[in-house]
Amino acid sequence: MTTEPPLLEIDGLEKHFEESTNVLDVLMRREPSKIQAVDGVSFTLERNDSIAVIGESGCGKTTLLLTLIGLHDITGGDVVYKGTPMSSFDKADWKDYRSNVQVIFQDPFNSLDPKMTVEESLKEPLEIHDVGNRDERVRQVLEDVELRPPEKYLRRKPMNLSGGEKQRVAIGRALVLEPDIILADEPVSMLDVSTQASVLRMLKGLIDDYDASMIYISHDLSTVSYISEVVNVMYLGRIVESAGTERLLADPKHPYTEALVSAIPVPDPHYDRSRTEMSGAPRDPIDLGEGCRFRDRCPKVIPPEGIDIGQSAYREVMAFREALEREELPLDRIRESLDDPGDTEAFAAAIDDEYFSAELSGENAATVETALDEIATGDRDAAIDRLRERFESVCEITPDSIEDESGWHVACHQYYDHDRQSTEDHAITTD
Amino acid sequence: MSDALLEVEDLTIRYETDSGDITAVSDASFSIDEGEFFGLAGESGSGKSTTAKAIIGGLDDNGYVDGGTIRYRGEEIQDFSDAQLNEKLRWKEISWIPQSSMNSLDPLQRVSEQALEIGQVHTDLSNEEIREKLKEMFDVVGLQESRIDDYPHQFSGGMQQRAIIALALFLEPSLVIADEPTTALDVIMQDQIFKYLDRMKDDASTSLLLITHDISVIFESCDSVAIMHASQIAERGSTESVHDNPRHPYAFMFKEAFPDIREPDRDLEVIEGYPPELIGEVSACSFADRCPWAVEECRESAPPLDPVGDDDATHAASCFRSDEAYELYEEHGTADPAAPERGDD
Repeated sequence: MTTEPPLLEIDGLEKHFEESTNVLDVLMRREPSKIQAVDGVSFTLERNDSIAVIGESGCGKTTLLLTLIGLHDITGGDVVYKGTPMSSFDKADWKDYRSNVQVIFQDPFNSLDPKMTVEESLKEPLEIHDVGNRDERVRQVLEDVELRPPEKYLRRKPMNLSGGEKQRVAIGRALVLEPDIILADEPVSMLDVSTQASVLRMLKGLIDDYDASMIYISHDLSTVSYISEVVNVMYLGRIVESAGTERLLADPKHPYTEALVSAIPVPDPHYDRSRTEMSGAPRDPIDLGEGCRFRDRCPKVIPPEGIDIGQSAYREVMAFREALEREELPLDRIRESLDDPGDTEAFAAAIDDEYFSAELSGENAATVETALDEIATGDRDAAIDRLRERFESVCEITPDSIEDESGWHVACHQYYDHDRQSTEDHAITTD
Repeated sequence: MSDALLEVEDLTIRYETDSGDITAVSDASFSIDEGEFFGLAGESGSGKSTTAKAIIGGLDDNGYVDGGTIRYRGEEIQDFSDAQLNEKLRWKEISWIPQSSMNSLDPLQRVSEQALEIGQVHTDLSNEEIREKLKEMFDVVGLQESRIDDYPHQFSGGMQQRAIIALALFLEPSLVIADEPTTALDVIMQDQIFKYLDRMKDDASTSLLLITHDISVIFESCDSVAIMHASQIAERGSTESVHDNPRHPYAFMFKEAFPDIREPDRDLEVIEGYPPELIGEVSACSFADRCPWAVEECRESAPPLDPVGDDDATHAASCFRSDEAYELYEEHGTADPAAPERGDD
C-alpha cells in the first residue's frame, strides 16, 4: 500500500453568501455584506471514520453539509474526494460522488415523499443509479434498519409510519446504494427519546456493517459519544476545537467548548451544576473580520499585558470598542434623549451610563473618559485609536489552530506561549 | 398543602374525533406550591401539553374537560370563560410560554407594542416602566435592548422564541407555564434562561410548570416531577424520590433512556413500542403493552395513582407492581423472569 488518498478531505472550505441588496444599495454602490457561514473549515475523513460536527444554530454546520453535497457553490478552499477536488469534478465524477455520498436529514416527516410507498422510496435511488437486484436489496436494507419483516412495511406510505419508522426508512434510503460516506444532519433530534437511543445505536452499527464513513452533524453534545469517535466544535463558521469525543467531553480546552459542555443538563437532582457564566447570543456571521470569533462572549478573553483590569470590565470595554468601530452604537438616539442635545458633557456621561457598569480605575478609567469626550465632540476616529492603543487584545488576531501529539486541535490564544516567537514551541497546556 | 398555588385533581380531558372521543389526560392529579418548580415529563402524545393548555384555557376547539378540577389559589378555574381568564389570570398571574414561537406573536405589531398592550391591561405600570422591564428581559434572553421596537419578522425563529419568553416573564407572573420552552434553543441559551428563572424563584417565589420531554432539565432544575405516559401520570413525587427510588417501569426506563454527560459510555434504555391511542374511558394501564413486567391485572383495570409509602408524601405511582418492578429491573434488566409472556412490539 502506497499513498492512498483520504476518503474525503475538507481543506480550508469557505462558503460565503452576500446579503440581499436592494435598488438603493446598487445606486449607492454599497458593498453587499458578506455572510461568512462556513469560513475556513478543514478536516479529513478516512475510511470507517465517524466524525461529528457540533455547534449551535447559526454556526454554519448545515451550510457545511449542503456545501459538501454540492448544493452550494464553494466560495473558497476545496473538498477532495478520493484524491479528486470537487472544483474539478466533471459530470461522471459528480454522478459517482452523488451515489457514494448520501444524506440523512433531520426531519423524517418531510424528507420522504408522502405519495411513495416505502418500497418505491427505497427503489428510486437504485433506479436512478441503474443498480440491479433491486427487490433483494430493498428487502435486505429493510432488515438492516430493523423494519422486520420487510413485507410488513413495503407497501406502507409515510403517513402509516411512526416518526422512528420514518427515520429508519430514510436511513435505509441513504444506505441502499452502499455509499462510502453518510452525512447525517441531526438524524434523531425529532424523535422521542425512547427511540433516539435505538436509532443512534442502529446507525452506528450500520456504518460499520456497510463499511461506510460518516459525518454526523448535531447541536447535541450529550449523545455524540454514542456515534462518533471524533468531535469538531464549530462556532460562527470555524472549527474551534477538535479531539477524541470522550477526551473532549471530559476536558474541553477551548472556552467555547467548555461553556457548551458545562451547560449540558445533568439528569441528577443531587448534582449541583453551576449555571453558565455567559450572556448574550452568538452574533450574526456578517462581516466578522479578524480575530477569535468567540472573544465578545469569552469568559477568558485576554487583556493586554501590563494593564490591570477585571474580566467583566474588560469585556465591557471590548464590546464598546467593537460597536464603536462597527458603527453600531445608537449615538443619535442617545443624543436625542438628552435635555440639551448640544451638551457634550452630558452626552459623554449618557454614553458612559449606557455602556459601562463595571468599575474602571486609574489609567483605564482615564482612557475611557477621554475617548467618550472625543466621541461626544464628534472625533470618533481619535476615540477608536485611543481605545485600541490601550485595550487591544491578542484575541483580535485570528488564532491559528494548534495541535498536540495526540491530534487534539484547539484555536485559542490561551494555549500559545506568546513569549516564544516560534510556532514550533506552541503546545497545548492545561492549567 | 396549605400554600398550594395550583391544584389539579382527577383531571380528565378528551378530544372529539370522528372515530370517537380520544382520552388525552386520564385522572391526573398534582399540585404546585408557591416557589415550586414542577416538571411534567413524557413523550409526544402523553397528554402533558394538553394538561398545560387546559390550565390556561387554551384547549383546541374539539377538546374538553370531562372531569376533575383545576384550582388556582383555591378557586376552581376549569370552567372559566376566556374573558374571566384574561381578566383574572393571564399574563400577570399565569403566563404561558408556548412550544413554538410561530403564530405566537402578532406579526403586525412591534414587540414593544405587544408588551405595552399586555402591560396596560394587566398592570398599573407606566409605558416607560413597561418598556424598561421589557428591555431588561431582552437583555436576559440575549436580544439587543434596542430591538424591542422590531417587528416579529425581523427576528429569526430562535430570536422570536426568546422574544416570547421575554414577554411571558416581564410582568413577573406568579406561575409560569412553559411548554418545551427551550427545546428550540441551544444549551447555553437554555442555561441562561434557567439561570433567570432560578432568580425569579429566589426573589419572588415564582412557580414554574415545565412541560418537557427532557428529563435531564427537570431533574436538574425542578423540585417535583410527574411523568406521564399515554394520558396517565405514571409516577409523581419530588425529583429526589423519583430519581433515587423510582417505582413505575415507564418512569425508570424513561430516565435510563437519557444520556448523562458524566457517563458517555452507558447503554441507553430503549422503550419498545408506541403509546396506544385511547378511545373512551381508559380501563387499563396505558403502558401495559410496552411494559416488560405487565401482568393480567394491568390490562383489566387502570392502576390508581397511589402513594408509594416512603418519606415523601407526594411520591405516588400508578403501577400494580410498584413495590417490586425497580428491583427486578436492577437485577435482571428488562428481562423479567416472572412475566415471560411479553407481547410482540
